[in-house]
Amino acid sequence: MQHFLAQGGDLTVPDINYAAVLPVLIVFGAAAISVLLEAFLPKHRRWSAQVGVSIAAIIGAGVALVAYIGNAPAGGITTFRAAEATGGALAVDAPALFLWGTLLALGLGCVLLIADRSVEPGGAFISQAGMTGATQTRIQAQVTGMQTEVFPLTLFALGGMMTFCASNDLLTMFIALEVLSLPLYLMCGLARRRRLLSQEAAVKYFLLGAFASAFFLFGLSLLYGYAGSVKLADIANAAAGTDRSDTLLFAGVGLVVVGLLFKGSVGPFHTWTPDVYQGAPTPITAFMAACTKVAAFGGMLRVLFVAFEPTSWEWESALWAVAVISMAIGAILGLTQRDLKRMIAYSSIAHAGFLVIGAISLTENGLSGTLFYLLAYGFTTIAVFGVISLVRDSKGEATDLSAWAGLARRSPLVAGVFTFLLLALAGIPLTSGFIGKFAVFSAAFADGKAVLVVIALVASAVAAFFYLRVVVLMYFSEPAAEGPAVTVPGAFTTAAITLGTVVTLVLGVVPGFAMDWAGAGGFAF
Amino acid sequence: MLIAIVGHFLLAALLPVLVPRYGRAVFAVGALVPAATLAVALSAAPRALSEAPPVETVSWAPELGLEVALRFDALGLAMTVLVSGIGAVALLYYACYAAYERAGIGRNAVLLVVFAGAMLGLVLADDIFGLYVFWELTTLCSFLLIGGDGVGAAERRSALQALLVTTVGSLAMLLGLITLGSAAGSFRISEIVAAGPAGPLTGVALVLVLIGALTKSAQLPFHPWLPAAMVAPTPISAYLHAAAMVKAGVYLVARLAPGFGDVGVFQVMVLGFGLATMLVGGMRALFAQDLKKLLAHGTVSQLGFLFVLFGAGTRTAAIAGMVMLLAHGLFKAPLFFTVGVLDKLAGSREMTELSGAGRRWPALAVVTALPAASMAGLPPLLGFAGKETSFEAFLSGGVTATAVLIGLVTGSALTVAYTARFLWGAFAAKPGVAPVRPPRHAGFLLVIAVLALAGLLLGPLVSALSPLITGYADALPGDPSYEPALWHGFGVPVLLSAGVLAAGYVLHRVMPRRPGGSLLPGWLDAQRGYERAVHGTDVLARRVTGGTQSGSLPVYLGVILLVFAVVPGVTLLAYGGVPDAFRGWDNWLQVPLTVLVVLAAIGVLAAKRRLTAVLLAGAIGYAIGALFVVHGAPDLALAQFLVETLTLIVFVFVLRRFPATFQQRGGHGFRNLKAAVAIGAGCFVAFCALLFSSLRTADPVASQQYATRAKADAGASNVVNAILVDFRAFDTLGEIAVLAVAVTGAATLILISQRTVHHFEASDEPDRERPAWQHALVLDVFARALFPTMLLFSVYLLFAGHDHLGGGFPAGLVAGLGFVLRYLVGGSTELSSVVRVPPLALVGAGLGIVAVIAVAPVAFGYPVFTSATASLSVPLLGELELASNLAVDVGVYVLIVGGVLDLLRTLGASLRPSEADIVVEAGERR
Repeated sequence: MQHFLAQGGDLTVPDINYAAVLPVLIVFGAAAISVLLEAFLPKHRRWSAQVGVSIAAIIGAGVALVAYIGNAPAGGITTFRAAEATGGALAVDAPALFLWGTLLALGLGCVLLIADRSVEPGGAFISQAGMTGATQTRIQAQVTGMQTEVFPLTLFALGGMMTFCASNDLLTMFIALEVLSLPLYLMCGLARRRRLLSQEAAVKYFLLGAFASAFFLFGLSLLYGYAGSVKLADIANAAAGTDRSDTLLFAGVGLVVVGLLFKGSVGPFHTWTPDVYQGAPTPITAFMAACTKVAAFGGMLRVLFVAFEPTSWEWESALWAVAVISMAIGAILGLTQRDLKRMIAYSSIAHAGFLVIGAISLTENGLSGTLFYLLAYGFTTIAVFGVISLVRDSKGEATDLSAWAGLARRSPLVAGVFTFLLLALAGIPLTSGFIGKFAVFSAAFADGKAVLVVIALVASAVAAFFYLRVVVLMYFSEPAAEGPAVTVPGAFTTAAITLGTVVTLVLGVVPGFAMDWAGAGGFAF
Repeated sequence: MLIAIVGHFLLAALLPVLVPRYGRAVFAVGALVPAATLAVALSAAPRALSEAPPVETVSWAPELGLEVALRFDALGLAMTVLVSGIGAVALLYYACYAAYERAGIGRNAVLLVVFAGAMLGLVLADDIFGLYVFWELTTLCSFLLIGGDGVGAAERRSALQALLVTTVGSLAMLLGLITLGSAAGSFRISEIVAAGPAGPLTGVALVLVLIGALTKSAQLPFHPWLPAAMVAPTPISAYLHAAAMVKAGVYLVARLAPGFGDVGVFQVMVLGFGLATMLVGGMRALFAQDLKKLLAHGTVSQLGFLFVLFGAGTRTAAIAGMVMLLAHGLFKAPLFFTVGVLDKLAGSREMTELSGAGRRWPALAVVTALPAASMAGLPPLLGFAGKETSFEAFLSGGVTATAVLIGLVTGSALTVAYTARFLWGAFAAKPGVAPVRPPRHAGFLLVIAVLALAGLLLGPLVSALSPLITGYADALPGDPSYEPALWHGFGVPVLLSAGVLAAGYVLHRVMPRRPGGSLLPGWLDAQRGYERAVHGTDVLARRVTGGTQSGSLPVYLGVILLVFAVVPGVTLLAYGGVPDAFRGWDNWLQVPLTVLVVLAAIGVLAAKRRLTAVLLAGAIGYAIGALFVVHGAPDLALAQFLVETLTLIVFVFVLRRFPATFQQRGGHGFRNLKAAVAIGAGCFVAFCALLFSSLRTADPVASQQYATRAKADAGASNVVNAILVDFRAFDTLGEIAVLAVAVTGAATLILISQRTVHHFEASDEPDRERPAWQHALVLDVFARALFPTMLLFSVYLLFAGHDHLGGGFPAGLVAGLGFVLRYLVGGSTELSSVVRVPPLALVGAGLGIVAVIAVAPVAFGYPVFTSATASLSVPLLGELELASNLAVDVGVYVLIVGGVLDLLRTLGASLRPSEADIVVEAGERR
């Protein structure tokens, strides 16, 4: 008898700093528990259990995060490190901790929106994305409680996002990308109302997203071919001083960045955004707009800063152009929108352009400014979609602009909050939007991108126009005769909107603590 | 000072509580804070005029260098007096006025107080961000105040115009200020002005800043928003025109003049636009019918005048500017108040409808005549002092100065003319018009009189204001001995003043009483320009959206593919080009196979029927399999052939649910375009593959190691199989786990959509008689005969895999195809007679076998996935080498068979006509 072991020696357990990655582990663990709850609990008890598990997991992860930050090493660490390797698969450093905190806080807001059963009786979701409109009405008649499949999906997506931001090598990043994307594709198709729009959104998002993932993977393989490693730091080292083929490097950089730009809905890779934002259930749109953007740009920052920094000279002009295209598309196309959700989608494309400006300013201020911008934008967006979900008519949410005419007359509070949030999106002072824009623009300016800042300011001005048009419409128009009613939100939606609005205000008035945190340190690798 | 600003906002927050209780008296309450601010400012005046004016700073976001800094100097003091003083009076006036116009009392009171606070902040801010914040806040307040409750379309349009024009300007200003700040190395306005950076960038920055000032102060060519904004209630207009909002632009020019007054572009812009505005505004005022509109155009004109004075950059002009700044505030507000009184009490503000108001209410006529005289520049009022000094300032004799002087004199004559026209229009008795009989109202009179008297008193006392005025003007170059005074003795300025008065009066006399239209041609109308710009942007945006965001997935994908192919493609061609070592083919057999692939690919594009497309795609797959064979990779080729076959069958199952032909949209052009994009993207990927594989600089280490170590480390001669079950056994475990999940998931989804679960139990369905034509006898017999052979062959492949062609995966596929054959001839009844196990159980079993074999070695003290081999001799078969990891192959085999059966169960279920199909068919027959 002969014995063979072809895998090569004993398996060694990678070195894991459990305290550092505990937040991610809690979220994934809760996601797994959530799946089991879905399978084994009787239907009427699922909603409370799922909401409880989700919120407890996010808060627990937040507590673990805060506890870790208290005694985290200053320069950050990398973990999941194999015995002989130089850096781990996950980097838990200052930007990662900031992004985790942001994602958890935004995730909490989104879970609150998702959990709401009072705005749309029975919740905004159905159980399977494949259901057609005809079956839906029958199902709806039998519905006793809210469909809860969305909670484990949300937790998995959130965990994937957290991993994505902290990935220290491209392969981990790709897996995290898939973990965060697949649940999102599904969640887009779960809207109880307007099934066809929702399914179309899901299919579009999935197909185009699959292309983007393929680009990312292709780029990854080229970079592996170039550097002989998928580790971000190794790629940077390889690029810093060798006579290897630049073609592989640039093609790889380009493809990886295209994949990331797609996730961040940056023009010209934005085409899915308006349709998907419009079709997806509004709480999911909020989740995608806020959290996905944070994750995508978190990952992009890490890749650009750690792996591609030595080659910044070559790709900077391309991303420069991308930022301009994105801002122009978002601002100009946003002008014509008649649907609020689509309008916010274009606004998010413009914001993505602003974020790219921060991301390509490879300075400390560029990093902290972009991180702060993500935090600020995320909270504002959640509250915006929370408010959008409140204004309803007999057919569900009334997202057509004309339905919002004269809203201030009927519901001054909702109109006031929405106005404040729109001003924040426009970047008017005393809102977080202004501070974020200021931080990003001043960093870019200091980095010698004055022309880009000028274009960004012009784009902001154009974009401000369509936000203000909504304000004008709400305040200065006669309400439509059979206009929508403003639903009195339940505790969950109220909490989410309040959270978003208060943070938007606080970050606009006293941004100091968040700026401190965003600028706490650079990437570890 | 910060407390004063915050006080405004706090009071504004408090006011809504008071409105229901006190009604219009809240305006009086609102006036308290501006009045208190005025008192504080006056008491602190000595400190403001000292060498080191007080500075307050509050750190806002220290990380960004954002702080709020307030500086209370001479210019700040003058503006504070204006903003707070006129603010308080306007609020008091509104308290009376609101008795006649009750709409929006609450919100207007709040907004006016916020407006006053923001304006105060604007004139005191010493850092550019504070300035910008307050600047935008005044924009927002004026937008809301002009728009009112937004019921009227005119209000909405005017408010939006004011907002758009000033916001665009303010963004330009912010950018300019940031540029100036970074050139000067500080974001403090006082330090920027003191540093006075020079250079081409400074010029651009100044232009941007001045665009902000021009838009805010309604200067040419942005002026139309201000006359349009007079739709607001009169107290608001009065405040907007006299002290707040529009004065911000003038203030900014005054603020920057000490540092940049000598810069060419600054002078050209300020003097040029200022003079042009003064003349155009004066002309428009002269032609206005509506008294309020007359005053609004008058304000535009006066602001142009102030721009010229502050932009000239000399001390004398600055003195004139300061005097005129105060004078304008003091005369414009009461004039507006009078119009408001007439409007509400006499019922009209059209000069053609007002008649005899002066005779009916002489006191009002008197208190209105005083500020009007100040506007016209009559002694001994403050306006006269300002006008005298401004003539003096441009008497120096240079060409530019003389040109400016001529402009000023002409503009002043226009001012006199429209002032006379205003008084005539408001109070004169007009033949043929019924006299109005407004009730007399002491409150209004009192409020107007306060400001009128202030203008009257300050005229003779203007020299007492000297410290304030020169406190600002001393920062500018020029004759240091000139002091502000009402009377500088006889000289050219006095003569000019007299001439201006005379010319103005004559102009008023010769003007037709009911003029219409304007002196300017229509195409020069700035209002039309604004409307065209807004409309054009809208149209452009709509066209672009329609063109790019069609909602069509092919278009979206096409955009992404085009960007993907064009941008990197061009770069790659430019950088690298075609690789040096380029071989056409390794083996001539590759050529026809490649041609086949290309032809089939083109055929897929051209196919009209779905089935054709699928078959052609299958042809591509087989051709690629053949390429593998030619390349010497039979294992790969075998797997490819088998997978291709199975995929084809699955496709056919699925296609039954689709229409037979593709649904084409967009006609031939669109189709060709799609084909072109697809071909382009495909060519690009092929080019990439060629290029990237040619860039390999080192030999692939892993592949060679696999080949050399297969026998030694894994005990296998078939390297591919060794990789699958030994070298990368963990990967295999992961992959089959994914496969199991995918099969389960796909089956579940399909079954859900069918909403009925089909099992293979024969009892499930009634044994329907199949019509004779459905029996394909040859196939039937053939399939039954072939089935055992295929199973046996699959078992051979399974065992041979370790050393020869084969392995668990191809073996499983062969077995699966055998079942497919049985299913095709006999349907699920036939299949259920062969397989009695649920397919998903097979899938689970396969996965379980691999998992067990993975951890089994641990029990014997070996690492996971250690394999053992033993030779045993079997009769008939000879020497047989058995490896324990054959079990991995077995697991894969079982799993694949289970997966294929599951696909048959779910997809094939639709082969039987479902109830829906029957209904449809019945309908078609009918």
